[in-house]
Amino acid sequence: MRLPTLCLALAATLLAGAVRAAPAPAAQPTASAAGGRFVLDPARSSLQFTFLQAGAQNTGRFPRFTVALDFPGADPAGGRLEVAVDVAALDTGDKDRDELLRSEELFAVAKFPQARFSASQVVKTASGFEADGKLTIRGVTRDARVPFTFREATEGGAAAAYMAGKTVVRRLDFGVGQGEWQATDQAGNDVTVSFSLRLTPAPR
Amino acid sequence: MALRNTTRRWGVIAQTFHWVIVALVVVQVTLAEMADDLPLGVRKLTLLARHKSVGITILALVILRLLWRWLNEQPPLPEKLKRYERLLAHLVHVALYVLLFAVPLSGWMFSSARGFPVSWFGFFQLPDLMPKSRPLYEALLTTHHVLAWTLVVVAGLHGAAALKHHFVHRDDVLKRMLPFTHH
Repeated sequence: MRLPTLCLALAATLLAGAVRAAPAPAAQPTASAAGGRFVLDPARSSLQFTFLQAGAQNTGRFPRFTVALDFPGADPAGGRLEVAVDVAALDTGDKDRDELLRSEELFAVAKFPQARFSASQVVKTASGFEADGKLTIRGVTRDARVPFTFREATEGGAAAAYMAGKTVVRRLDFGVGQGEWQATDQAGNDVTVSFSLRLTPAPR
Repeated sequence: MALRNTTRRWGVIAQTFHWVIVALVVVQVTLAEMADDLPLGVRKLTLLARHKSVGITILALVILRLLWRWLNEQPPLPEKLKRYERLLAHLVHVALYVLLFAVPLSGWMFSSARGFPVSWFGFFQLPDLMPKSRPLYEALLTTHHVLAWTLVVVAGLHGAAALKHHFVHRDDVLKRMLPFTHH
């Protein structure tokens, strides 16, 4: 091997070593601008519901739920979204109303403790994205489309994503409201479900 | 009959305010008592929604009534009243106005604190006066009850005094607040 070639090889090896020695751009599993798999940051996420009670907006939240999102950045069509909600944990700020909502004629949480949204398709829309899937509440499954916005961020060198949106669910479509609660004059049929989520890359 | 008050009688408008509010207070006590014993359900919520709407109506009427009072002269108390009787009459009237204002307001506040906002007969929703808070709600509920029963007692005193004027003093204090009566 001649000297110039040797020098070049040595320089290349050194350079490669230097690059390898440089700090890795992200210590966490990467879910960069190219998308990836995300899970919920529960401390900084909320899932709320609002309905009309005798002409006044009543609000509550589901403090316990999980989210798993596969979001391929370039082509969202391959995306998947799985949401599971612990319905019994619902909280409207009033014990009596919470008990009533958990009862047999409404959410019947003893029989149906979980609500699910399962989407195997995500489409790009004019204002963001839409997850098309199946919504299951009180044991009844129906097609549902949930629009949302999605934004990725880098916070202190770690990847995160923000997902927000809202959709209207007609409670009677899912049997939430048996007996006297089939009437909608005291509790409206339309329930607005809104979510504001912080997601972090799923651990591998 | 005159719409406005005179030095001898309450006008039609003042009388209407007075008797409509009397009727609505009776409705309020009835609705509250009916709802009180029921479990949380459609019937209870319906009664309480009415109770809240009627309460807001009373609040609005009391504000209008006070405005009308300031724009009008008042028929004076009978001259033969003793000093303490005048003071007592004055106190009871002030208490009635304060309570007619404070009872609906405390109800509105505790509804806000409980997270059951107030709607006026389903036409529009009123803003929340308080954040959702259980301790706040419990304190305001007690306040609402105490004020409401104080109003019932003070209104009873007021009515008893009016009857005393009519049947014991035999003056026109009661009659000048009654519609369709003439001297």
